[in-house]
Amino acid sequence: MAYVSMGEAHRRITEYLNRFCDSVSYQDSSTLCRLLSFSSNSAPLLSLADALNVFQDASSLIRQSDKFSEYGEILAHLFRSLQSYRIGNLVEAYLAYEKFANAFVQEFRNWESAWALEALYVVCYEIRILAEKADKELTSNGKSPEKLKAAGSLLMKVFGVLAGKGPKRVGALYVTCQLFKTYFKLGTVNLCRSVIRSIETARIFDFEEFPRRDKVTYMYYTGRLEVFNENFPAADTKLSYALQHCIPRRDRNIRMILKYLIPVKLSLGIIPKDELLQNYNLHEYIKIVQALKKGDLRLLRHALQEHEDRFLRSGVYLVLEKLELQVYQRLMKKIYIIQKLSDPARAHQLKLEVIAKALRWLEMDMDLDEVECIMTILIYKNLVKGYLAHKNKVVVLSKQDPFPKLNGKPVGS
Amino acid sequence: MLIFQEVYGSMNQGGNTQAVAPSPLDPNSIENRYGVDGSQVQISSYQYSTGSEGASWTAHRVENQAVENGNYTNSNYYHPQPTGPATGNVQEVTNTVSYTSSSASGTANVAQDYSGYTPYQTTSEPQNYSNTGYSNYYSGYQQQQQQPSQSYTQPVGAYQNTGAPYQPLSSFQNPGSYAGTPSYSGTYYNPADYQTTGGYQSTNYNNQTSGGYPSTNYSNHTPTSNQGNYTDYTSNPYQNYTPDAANTSSSTIATTTPVQYQQNYQQWPGYYSQAEVPCAPGTEKLPAASTFSQSFPVPAVTNELPASNGQPAPSYASNSQPAPYASNGQPAPSYAQPWRQETNSSQPPSQQPGAAVRASNDSYWMHQTPNQQAHYPVPPQTHYQSPLETKPLYETPFQGHQRATYPQELNSQSSIHQASLGYQQPTQTTLPVHTQRVSKVQIPTNPRIASNLPSGYTKMEKDSSAFGATKTPAYVSVSIPKPNGHPTATPEPETMPKSLRGFVERAFARCKDDKEKASCQAALREIITKARDDRTLHTRDWDTEPLSTVLNVVVTNTESSSTLNSSLQNKSPTRRPKSRWEPLQEAKPFVKSAPTFSSGVKFGGWNHQNENNKKISENFQKVDPTTNSKPTYSWQNSAKKSFQRPVKRQRFSGGVATAIDDEASSDSDKELTPYYSSAMALASSTEEKKRRDSRSKRFEKVQGHSRGNDIPKPKNANVGNLHPRRATALRLSRDLDESGSRAVEDIDWDALTVKGTCQEIEKRYLRLTSAPDPSTVRPEDVLEKALLMVQDSQKNYLYKCDQLKSIRQDLTVQRIHNHLTAKVYESHARLALEAGDLPEYNQCLSQLKILYSEGIEGCSLEFAAYNLLYITLHSNNNRELLSSMSRLSEEAKKDEAVRHALAVRAAVTSGNYVMFFRLYKTAPNMNSCLMDLYVEKMRYKAVNFMARSCRPTIPVSHIVQVLGFGASTEGNGEKESDGMEECSEWLKAHGASLISDSNGDLLLDTKASTNSLFMPEPEDAVSHGDRYLDVNDFFTRTV
Repeated sequence: MAYVSMGEAHRRITEYLNRFCDSVSYQDSSTLCRLLSFSSNSAPLLSLADALNVFQDASSLIRQSDKFSEYGEILAHLFRSLQSYRIGNLVEAYLAYEKFANAFVQEFRNWESAWALEALYVVCYEIRILAEKADKELTSNGKSPEKLKAAGSLLMKVFGVLAGKGPKRVGALYVTCQLFKTYFKLGTVNLCRSVIRSIETARIFDFEEFPRRDKVTYMYYTGRLEVFNENFPAADTKLSYALQHCIPRRDRNIRMILKYLIPVKLSLGIIPKDELLQNYNLHEYIKIVQALKKGDLRLLRHALQEHEDRFLRSGVYLVLEKLELQVYQRLMKKIYIIQKLSDPARAHQLKLEVIAKALRWLEMDMDLDEVECIMTILIYKNLVKGYLAHKNKVVVLSKQDPFPKLNGKPVGS
Repeated sequence: MLIFQEVYGSMNQGGNTQAVAPSPLDPNSIENRYGVDGSQVQISSYQYSTGSEGASWTAHRVENQAVENGNYTNSNYYHPQPTGPATGNVQEVTNTVSYTSSSASGTANVAQDYSGYTPYQTTSEPQNYSNTGYSNYYSGYQQQQQQPSQSYTQPVGAYQNTGAPYQPLSSFQNPGSYAGTPSYSGTYYNPADYQTTGGYQSTNYNNQTSGGYPSTNYSNHTPTSNQGNYTDYTSNPYQNYTPDAANTSSSTIATTTPVQYQQNYQQWPGYYSQAEVPCAPGTEKLPAASTFSQSFPVPAVTNELPASNGQPAPSYASNSQPAPYASNGQPAPSYAQPWRQETNSSQPPSQQPGAAVRASNDSYWMHQTPNQQAHYPVPPQTHYQSPLETKPLYETPFQGHQRATYPQELNSQSSIHQASLGYQQPTQTTLPVHTQRVSKVQIPTNPRIASNLPSGYTKMEKDSSAFGATKTPAYVSVSIPKPNGHPTATPEPETMPKSLRGFVERAFARCKDDKEKASCQAALREIITKARDDRTLHTRDWDTEPLSTVLNVVVTNTESSSTLNSSLQNKSPTRRPKSRWEPLQEAKPFVKSAPTFSSGVKFGGWNHQNENNKKISENFQKVDPTTNSKPTYSWQNSAKKSFQRPVKRQRFSGGVATAIDDEASSDSDKELTPYYSSAMALASSTEEKKRRDSRSKRFEKVQGHSRGNDIPKPKNANVGNLHPRRATALRLSRDLDESGSRAVEDIDWDALTVKGTCQEIEKRYLRLTSAPDPSTVRPEDVLEKALLMVQDSQKNYLYKCDQLKSIRQDLTVQRIHNHLTAKVYESHARLALEAGDLPEYNQCLSQLKILYSEGIEGCSLEFAAYNLLYITLHSNNNRELLSSMSRLSEEAKKDEAVRHALAVRAAVTSGNYVMFFRLYKTAPNMNSCLMDLYVEKMRYKAVNFMARSCRPTIPVSHIVQVLGFGASTEGNGEKESDGMEECSEWLKAHGASLISDSNGDLLLDTKASTNSLFMPEPEDAVSHGDRYLDVNDFFTRTV
């Protein structure tokens, strides 16, 4: 830390105060954003932090002038937070920032126009990031992390400020997205529901009115929620919307979306091109797609096992596991095709013996009962058309389209 | 015992209010008691009233009579409860007797009865009054005790007791009424008047001439006046007075000077008020529950009060009665002497009528006042005190007077004390256990009450005058005459701080006889004058001032020295404000003193009345609007707070008390023996014997027929009702034992963690509603045995569940978190699974998760498997499933049970019923139990699949095999058929159509079944939702 003289510190602090007050009085949102954004680690902020650590009595400076003292509470908390942040005491920094945010939101409420929305975004973002960092610090100290939860409730409060009629409502979706991020991180996804409801049912929100950025984020998260619920068509629409509207350059975002969209599409019987997986570095799906194409049950299971952890964490494991039936379907189709080649007349009769043999080749050891069970399921779920003659241990396939394609409809419908 | 009884009485009231009314009889009995009490008080008041100015009051008499008439009817009311007695006097006697019998708890009730009794007799024979009363009382007592000879001594004790408990009640009520809440007081008091009058008026009615009668009227009126405004109040007193005056003129043969009478009178008013209060409970019956509740608090207060006060209270009660008698005149002296003799043979001299009597009264008064002050912690006391202190407001001189009186009082006190001591000794010896319990019980109540009355407890002590001024100005004045009467009063009233008063009182409390008293007084005077000279009178901490200086002078009495010491010790701590809780420790000794306390309360009530009387109605009215009104209101507020809030408390305490009482009653025989012995000792004096004989004879006359019938019934009723409460109360009291000695402020919860002492392996689960009682909590080693016992038990799940819950409770209470805890929860979880009790299982599992996360190993893998299965099969929450799957460690995934659970999950998600039922058959641990609950769904699903997919038929045998029918009897052919039957039954139940082929094999017609399948309502569904629970289990449980 470079040495900062008292005078220099005083100068920097006063300058910051001046800039803050000017930006507020001129409603200069971008400047204000810069003044509030800790995580940007911008040079002016860092030097200000140093100055604050030298010049301990910043609050007296704030009190000196009416101009400053008008925002005295905001600034005092902000300074304290910045100080702690600079020292690396993130928990303290968070606490002070939370107080600052409360004061700022209070002030924001009083501003009639929505000029400071951007600044509010910054505050919302910073509070979440700071909370995550503070939680990390807390866990490393063996304490229970709880700051993110607190941030969540603060964001909920901010949402309440924005979710009304008026120009500020366009900011609601940003806060919603921050809330989603918080809740997903906390694992309290069910808390999203109330926010979603107010977004989707409230007439004051015209969805297309919101900034694109927020819309994409929102769709991404709600799409993920639909994946959890195994509501694949809805997930498909939301995630596809996100994919279509996200900025094409942002590979990372696209990848994030694809991570969920691909399993959803697979569940609907739509198989992505290999290039897509390659381009966006989604290697974990490559084998699965292959297994689907080949009807290779073993490959599917291997792929699932290989990436089990990742799939479990992202929450697509169960979705992918359900692809098994499609793999069976593919396998049957293969058998059917092979039979057709050798004996077209009796191709529509699949002997359970044959199926069991094929599965044995795949190192899936199943007896006839189990095979029969799987066939009944396939027939029941409409992946195979036909019937099973228990007495003869034969699956009799329909002569017309024995293996219907899903065509965007989920299995079992 | 006494305390218990008091409590008991309060409890009864409480019970009534609560609508839990123990028994129909109880309320009545209670009322009777109260009525009796009131009568007692009245009697005393009567004497005093006679002393007071008679002439002016006569005019009022008419009203009194009218009132009396009304009262009289009331008294009739009373009568019905007991057997229907014919004549008023007789009836009352019977009533009292019945009452005592009903109370069963014993002495206390008897004492009350006694008081009640006396009034009646008085009516018939004023002069004999005291004696008759005695005899009546005595007889009543005997009835209960069934030991006539010994009963005499006992009665005394009982008498005191009764006086104390009731008076506290009354005191409370008085404050309320004084507070000036019209509605409040009105409801409350009216009833009170009603009943009181009932008991009293009869006496009044019969003999107006007799001093006792007027007094009773007076008391009755006072309540009414209380109800109304102050004006009413004043008028009433006047009316009352007239009778008194008449009495005095006619009856007073006493040597005492008019002044003394007045004093007495004033004091008596206090009594009256107190008496009225007791009456109130009885009246409450009539009015409504609300009144009851109000009255309730009072009892509780009384309870507490007794605790805080020491032994002095009992003495007071005894003294007070004798004193009134003395004042009355000839009869009084004789009466008083007997009493005292009973209490202490040595005391009689002090009690002699005239100045002595007055002194005694004053002393009592003073005595009690100090006690009250000392007892600050108790909210009721504060109330009480406030009235006393109000005196200063009215008349600043009064304070001085009061203080001045103190010295005199001290003299009298000393005698009184002695009496009380002698009295108490027996009590103490007999009751120690009970008293302790009571004290414990009381402890909890105290803090609450104290909280209610935040206003300076401490203040009171130090700035009594200021305090009084701020609080209750309205009541005053008892003291005025006193100063005049007592030339001996050395210390200057104005300058004497309250703490000093306490100090003096303490010193006198040590004195056992007149000699001691005299020396003590001298010593005190010296000390005080010295202090004044040093200007340390106000600065010195008299509370902590050692008595040694005084004591050096005082000769220690061999007789009852132990009691004295104990009482002194008790007292000194109590007086200090310290922490509210501290009294708890001391409370044990004080418990005995409970009666004392009540006496103190009486005094408070007394003051009020005195005020009324003294102030004279005219002055009173004037004064009230200005000075009184405001203070009164403030007081009201405080009173209300303290008053009403305590109600709940009191109920609680009352409940406890009843329970204790109950126990006490059951043990009464044992306890009484010591009593008797002491009584016997007293009786040894020939004089006493004679008196007793004469009394008993009279008593027999009166008792006559009434005695035998009534006694047993009430007793039984009381006992029966109280029984259930007892257990909890005892437990509570025991709990308090453990933790009671700590001040609330510095409760260390860690330290409070219970260490169980119960050695019983079997214990039923009872949800705790209070602090756990170590004596019912099992320590860890016993719990371990208990767990083994449960595991080996052949009894049904409900029993085991109950046992395990109690084990869990004991573990929780003792904060045991170790492998045993895990073991208990694990076994309970397994049992719950076995029985399909998912709620219980979930409880256990959530605890187990915590335990496992704390690093306690247990069978975490087994339960991880259960958890997985549970989520898969029952909660159907994908997110939860995902997260619990992702939490599985590599090691866990290798565990057989976990692998099995994962396989089951896979089978379920894919719908692979074949796999599912195979896994079902090979399930490790209790996995199959969780799967059990899913079997039905899985089968239904499977049959649906088959019906849709398979054509044309499926043999049922295949279904049996695939869907695990007859799984339990797998292996031999015979059981196959069982499976067939079961399966076909099941299929039919689910709407499948079955056909037989040529071979006679049963087939499932899939096409026909496709659309006919349905999930039937479970046939064995039960309303409580768990068919595994047998209703009979519930019944067997309660047996």
